[in-house]
Amino acid sequence: MASREIVRYRSPLRSVLQGLSILFLIFFFVWTVLPLFIMVVSSFKDLLDAFQLPEPGDWGDLGVMFDFKPTGTHYVELFTEKHFGTYLRNSLIASLGSAAVSVSLGSMAAYALSRAEFRGKRDLLFWIISTRMAPVVAVMVPLYVIFRSSGLVGTLPGLILAYTTFNLPFAIWILKGFFDNVPYAIEEAAQCDGCTRWQAFRLIIPLVAPGLGAFIVLCVLFGWNDFLFATIIGSGGAKTLPVATAELVQPVKIQWGMIMAAGVVTTVPMMFLGLLIRRYLVAGLTMGAVRE
Amino acid sequence: MATVTISDVWKYYGKTMAVKELNLEIQNNEFMCILGPSGCGKSSTLRMLAGLEFISSGDIYFDDVRVNDLPPRDRDIAMVFENYALYPHKTVYENMANPLKLRRTPKDEIERRVRRAAEILEIDPLLGRKPVELSGGQKQRTAIGRAIVREPKVFLFDEPIAHLDAKLRSHMRGELKHLQRDLETTTVYVTHDQLEGMSMADRIAVMHEGVLQQLGTPEEIYNRPSNEFVAGFVGEPPMNFLDCTLEQTNVGLTVVHAGFRLSLSEEQASLLSGSGAEANMRIGIRPDNLAIEPGADGTLDVPGEIFVTEPLGGDMIVEVTIGGDRVMVKTKIGPMGGPGDPCRIGFDVDKLHVFDINTGVAYF
Repeated sequence: MASREIVRYRSPLRSVLQGLSILFLIFFFVWTVLPLFIMVVSSFKDLLDAFQLPEPGDWGDLGVMFDFKPTGTHYVELFTEKHFGTYLRNSLIASLGSAAVSVSLGSMAAYALSRAEFRGKRDLLFWIISTRMAPVVAVMVPLYVIFRSSGLVGTLPGLILAYTTFNLPFAIWILKGFFDNVPYAIEEAAQCDGCTRWQAFRLIIPLVAPGLGAFIVLCVLFGWNDFLFATIIGSGGAKTLPVATAELVQPVKIQWGMIMAAGVVTTVPMMFLGLLIRRYLVAGLTMGAVRE
Repeated sequence: MATVTISDVWKYYGKTMAVKELNLEIQNNEFMCILGPSGCGKSSTLRMLAGLEFISSGDIYFDDVRVNDLPPRDRDIAMVFENYALYPHKTVYENMANPLKLRRTPKDEIERRVRRAAEILEIDPLLGRKPVELSGGQKQRTAIGRAIVREPKVFLFDEPIAHLDAKLRSHMRGELKHLQRDLETTTVYVTHDQLEGMSMADRIAVMHEGVLQQLGTPEEIYNRPSNEFVAGFVGEPPMNFLDCTLEQTNVGLTVVHAGFRLSLSEEQASLLSGSGAEANMRIGIRPDNLAIEPGADGTLDVPGEIFVTEPLGGDMIVEVTIGGDRVMVKTKIGPMGGPGDPCRIGFDVDKLHVFDINTGVAYF
């Protein structure tokens, strides 16, 4: 393999740029991590402690932010009074369900589009992705009408279907790239070995596993973080975490502690998912792009 | 073990013709080589035999069974691909075991057969490795191993050793030939390398632009090429071609070129006169059938001028200009002089080939 060393020479300009980039990184770190930090810390404070903030500019008084007795009441309340257990379950079912449907249908469609040649293939591919070009809001009203007349509003299958309509085109496009990179000769060899077409397809699935893994994450994230579909299509029977969290903001009383706790409950599973398939995610998102 | 019959087979890709009216019978246990340049239709033919491509028209039979409509898995063939096509996520052992597993062979039988094939191919220490950890030669052995673990009716080889380096290629030629004799299985071997065809095959089918040019043993193909294409394709260095005219003189039929005159034998003359050959024609002579001596006053007939010499160790190839045309001469290495030096050339007239200047068909 060729050397990948990036050659750098010292120069005054470079030193200045280096200093600036370190400054930027510090700022960026605070910018991204501080909100998360405040969210986690505040979720363990009661309402009074949560508003103990230092005066602006008074750096010596930073300690008051940490001067509190940790309490788990917000979490307990969320899961006992506010039924967050159910919403967590709904969120998981809707996002994982949609990911499963999108990936299984998407991989088959992508495989077909990758292997078969037919007239209008390019147009078909473009049409598939063009369904993602309209903003969700634009299609929401007609979609709602269709879903309502089919009795899908307020149900988990309805929500899964709604997410799948948006994930599937994306799945087909990403996965097609992965299948394109698997030499067809491998399937031909498999057929000569005694595989049917279907068995040959299944045989090469491990070769696109990084793509499938990366795509499952993207699908899950889309469903997990979605608010618009969840409020409109999922409202009622299929309430998910983001919607439930928003409902904690009531006209008379904004329950900051519980909102923060809900934020943590919503964030943690996705962080674990990210850590779990971080390796795949990077390999997956870049692998389709570069032909070896 | 099977006889393979290709009967009136055509292959089109859209409007492009890849194979034209091919008729070929491959005997039981025969090693048949389909030889030709890229795009000659040889791979298409092999892929139609494998069932990886549809036959546009015509029939293919394995023994007496018409296989046109059978998918690859039902044809009982084993194919080795040019780029090996191993399963990258499986080990060498799993790669080789796959065909057996698909046929529900008992586990201990799989183990026994894979180990046996690995031993034959000398890859038994590699069974636990993945294809990325293998060299080109090892990958190719694994691919062959995957083919020989079971006993298929027909082996199909699609340029299996084209990507190996020269030394390994010459080694594998011998091994493959030995293996085929050992396994006694009908084999179709596709290659563009005439050396592979000549050295391994029982019979060679030379194809060009989708058309079968000649079918014969390596000896027949080399010594009695049916046309100019076959003559030029087979043999290294390639045959020399020179445009000449025919003259009837008092010593018989004579080939006349700007640089020389050659009298044909009576037998050769009779072959020409009966066939309606025209005055203009093309002669072909292999570099091995030309003799050369350095200097202007040797005993050989034809004067020439050295263009360049290419020593090859034991032999050398001398390019010589004769009457405005250039020919290659193969000779034992020795002092020959440099570019521009005079030399003399001798033709072995018995080994001369004569082709129709328009159609390229060989008279002899």
